[in-house]
This record gives sequence, structure tokens and C-alpha cells, in this order.
Amino acid sequence: MSGIVEVDNLSFGYTPENAILKDISFEVRPGTFLAIAGPNGAGKSTLLNLMCGMLTPESGTVRVEAEPIGSYSNEALAAKVAVVRQEFIPAFGFTVIEMVLMARTRYFGASGFESRADRQAANEALEATDTVQFAFRSLSSLSGGERQRVFIARALAQDTSILLLDEPTSFLDLKHQVGIYDLLKAAQLEKGKTIVAVTHDINLASQYCDEILLLGADGSYHTGKSESILSCDLIEKVFDVKVYVGKIGRENFFIPLGKFAKDGGETGKGQSLL
Amino acid sequence: MGQLLTPKKLLVRTAVALAVLAAVMVACSGIGPEKISFRAVFAGPGPQATGNPDYQIFVNFRLPRILLGCLVGAALACSGVVFQALLRNPLADPYILGISSGAGLGAMIAVVSGLNWTLWGRSPIAVFAFAGASATVWLVWFIGRLTGKFHVTGLLLAGVVVNAFLSAVIMFLTSIAKADQVYDTIFWLMGNMNMTEVDFLALWIGAGCAIAGIVALFYISPQLNALSLGDDDAMSMGVNIAKTRTIAFGVAAAITAIAVSFSGLIGFVGLVVPHGVRLVFGPDHRQLFPLSAIVGAIFLVVADTLARVIIAPAQLPVGVVTAIVGGPFFLVLLVKYSRKIGWLK
Repeated sequence: MSGIVEVDNLSFGYTPENAILKDISFEVRPGTFLAIAGPNGAGKSTLLNLMCGMLTPESGTVRVEAEPIGSYSNEALAAKVAVVRQEFIPAFGFTVIEMVLMARTRYFGASGFESRADRQAANEALEATDTVQFAFRSLSSLSGGERQRVFIARALAQDTSILLLDEPTSFLDLKHQVGIYDLLKAAQLEKGKTIVAVTHDINLASQYCDEILLLGADGSYHTGKSESILSCDLIEKVFDVKVYVGKIGRENFFIPLGKFAKDGGETGKGQSLL
Repeated sequence: MGQLLTPKKLLVRTAVALAVLAAVMVACSGIGPEKISFRAVFAGPGPQATGNPDYQIFVNFRLPRILLGCLVGAALACSGVVFQALLRNPLADPYILGISSGAGLGAMIAVVSGLNWTLWGRSPIAVFAFAGASATVWLVWFIGRLTGKFHVTGLLLAGVVVNAFLSAVIMFLTSIAKADQVYDTIFWLMGNMNMTEVDFLALWIGAGCAIAGIVALFYISPQLNALSLGDDDAMSMGVNIAKTRTIAFGVAAAITAIAVSFSGLIGFVGLVVPHGVRLVFGPDHRQLFPLSAIVGAIFLVVADTLARVIIAPAQLPVGVVTAIVGGPFFLVLLVKYSRKIGWLK
């Protein structure tokens, strides 16, 4: 196996009768960008939580850099894996820079204060995410998209090789969605990070991600290169909706067609618009 | 990076706050129904037979009370900081998890059973209050853990239920107790710092424990910063949340129980002081602990001085003063700085 994260025969259920993940196996190769996509309730976020050790699998293993995830201490795992959850406003008014520096907590010495290296790492993360101008503002004074960038900055400052994200763009407008994915792609290409993002958005996934793990609500899953996984048939089957697949240049795009769509009956591959 | 908290900045602020505390202690020790002159105090105890009344008042009455005010104020303020961070709830105070009713029940039992002995100069009320407070916190923590692996809501609800239950027991004991016993307990519950019975040994032991506890809290404050964002976030940033939580909770419960055993239930200090410090200086716990401890000490010494002089020669329970002074003061701070904190939005 050559994966930096390897998932082996993983099963998990919140109640013993209903497993939501059944015998899932896949690996994430170093330096790739994997999207975990699928309909609501398919267990995407659950899978992510298993991959960062927040949940313990019923059976099967998750290995990070060839070691079982359970063998890592909390601190050791935080050196390998950073997690970005959906953005929120903390109960207390921390500023952006204070928040980002918290990712360095495990490096603080006995004094309990950050070193010059910690401040530099935080600054670089702010620059990479274009949040320097907010550094001394409270998180509550930012918009959702800005705050999401701060959470990503914090994950970058944690200086890990693996980055896990849970629906990083769910509440953002088009520009900010693309902005977040641009900065993730830059982190992948420039810093060699391995990125796993849970998303509903198959269009963004197809544009940015190398590999896709498509989870079905019935426990089925499909994994492979984005181009081969994101086909009309598979998407219709997994999401249980009619889709139109189009192509602009080298980008595929997918549009769901509902009951009242003006061309609702027509599914399948449309012709190239260019 | 001008606005980041640096060790130097923290040291300067702490030193300034300590200087203010020292000035307040000196000023308040000079205020009281009996005028005393510091010149006379410095003259020493004086000849055995006549004595030096100024020195006697200063050493036997004023000084112990002021030291106790510092101890209780610092302990309650730091404990408030911990509970607000652990429960991620700005409305939390040191008594939220049942310490108040546990201590109250302990005091009530001591009064009703009419015990008459001392431990290190402390009356049975203090000893029983300490035991009651500690036992209750442990019980709430235990029940909270049964509801899930440190579920914040579960813990809060456990605190509410235990509080309600113990209050019912207190009411039962009140209804069967004699009138003077009830008066003793109620006076104790309102919080007061009558030091006449206190042996200095107990005060030093209490102060030693409180200072050790506050130093321990400062030591885990970077972890508490992360933990105040939520368990998931703290965990993925590599914080050992079980260890941090156990230390923070244990220390906060212990110093609150110590404070309560000395002074009864003094409200508002543990809520107002952490808020005030947070509103002015920000939420970083590395700064919150030292500054809250000092500001809490200042606040309670001033409040107790007011309690001593307002209706002199009689004395008010200091808990009345902290609520009357603390309430409006807190409102002013809240309005003035509310833009700085996130939970108001």
C-alpha cells in the first residue's frame, strides 16, 4: 500500500443495527486532493470523523502514515492531521491571529507563549489565506466566508501533511466557494499537502479534485479518478436524481434536473457548448 | 504584531495590577469605624500591660480580613473563568455546578446538629461547608459523565438538578430548625467575612492552596484557550482534553470550596470579574487568570470595606455589597465594551 491515509474494511454505525458505513476500503495517496461526495445521510462526515480519530470504527482500521490511527496520541496525531470543520463563532471574542496561533499550542514551551517560529507560521498561514488584513479583528466581526478562511489558516498553521475538511464551502456564495478551493489547491500544489474534503458539490469536486470517493446512501461506494467516477450514470444512481452533463473546454459540469425543469425529461450527456 | 499578548506585556500588566492591589489593601486597612494611624501601628505591639490599640486593631481585625478578602476574591474570580471556559457559557459562575447548595447544606447540618469544636481554628460550619461543596461537585461531575463523555449540557443539567434537590433538603432542615439556628445559617449563606474566629493557620493554608491552584490554572491556560472553542477543535489541535479538563475542573472546585468555607456564599465576584477583565483585555486565558485573580482580590477587599463601614458599627454581609456594587458596574462595562465580544451577536 502506498497511501498516506489507508482505510481498510471500515464499518461504523451510530446504533448497532444500522451501519452507515460498511466495509469501506480506499487509500489516499500523498499529495493528492480527494473529495468525499454523496447525498445527505451517506456518512461523509462520519467517514471524515473516523479518519481524524474523533470516532472509533466498529471494525476495520484507519492508518495514517502506515500506523493505526488509534496508536497515535492526541498530540502526535495533531502533528500529522489538521481538521477544518464548518466555521462557527466561538463563545469568547478571540481575534483572528489568536485563533490561528492556537494551532501552535503543542509547540508552546513551559512559558505557555508562542515562539518567533510560531508567529511566523501563523503569519504565513494568514498570507496564504489572504486574511492578514483581519489579523486583529474578532472572529465575530467577519463574514462566514472570511471566517472559513481563518479556520483554514489555522489548519495550515498547524503544519501537517494531511488536511481534512468537512464541507468547507457549504454556506458560501460562488466567488467564495471558488476562492476556498483555489487556496486548497494552492496548498496541495505548492506545499504538497494531502487534502481530503467532504462536499456535496460535484462540480467543484470535478474541477479541483484528483480523486473522488462517491458514497451512496445505501452503503455502496465508488472510488477512483474524478473523470472516471463522475459519470452521468453513476451520479444519477448515487444521488437518485436526473442530471444533465455538459462540457466546457476540458471541464465537465453537472446540473440536476427536477420534476419541473423545462427539459425535465431529457437526461444524459448534452452536447458541448463550445 | 503590536497587539499580541507577549510575556513582557503580561508581566507589566500583572505588576501594575499588583501595585493597585497593594495600594487598595493599605487604604482599606486604614478605613473603619475605629480611626487608626499607621504611625502608631508601626510602633509595634507596645508594652504587655497596656498594649497598643491601633496595632491590635490592625493585626487582629483589619489585616486578617483584608488578606481573606484577597484570598476569596482571587479564588472565586479564577474559578469563574474556568467554569465559563469549560462550559463555553459566559453566564457560568463558580456556583453553577451545585457548590452553593452543597456548601449551604453542609453549613445547615453543622448548625442544626449543634456541633461545638474547631479544626485549625475553624468552626464546624466551615468544615462542613467545605465537605458539602466538595462532595456535591464530585457528585455533579460523576452524574455528568454518566450522560456522556463530558457532555456540557448533561453537566449543566446535573448541576441544576442536584442544586434543586439539595435546596429542598436545606428547606426541610430550615423548617425543623430553631429560629436562631436558621438566622445563623441565613447570615452565613449571604456571605460574610467575619474573621474573629479565624486562626491565621487556616488562612495561610487556604491562601497557599489557592495560590498553588491559580498557578496550576495559568500553566494549562493555552490548552484552555483551545478547549473554549469546543472539544473537537481542541482535540484536532493536539490538546489533551481529558487531562486539561480534569485539572481545570478539580482546581476550580477546590479553590471555590476553600473560599466558600471561609466566607459563605459571596455572589457576583465569580461572574463579574472574569467578564470585566475579558471585556477590557480579551479572552486569552494566559492573561485572564493572573488579572482576574488580582482584580477579584481588589473587588472583594473594597466591597468588604464598604460592608464594614456603611452601617457601622454594625456590619452588612459582604455578599449584599458585591451584588449591589457589582451589578451596575458590570452593566456599564457590558454596554461600553459589548462590541468586543462575540456572543452578543
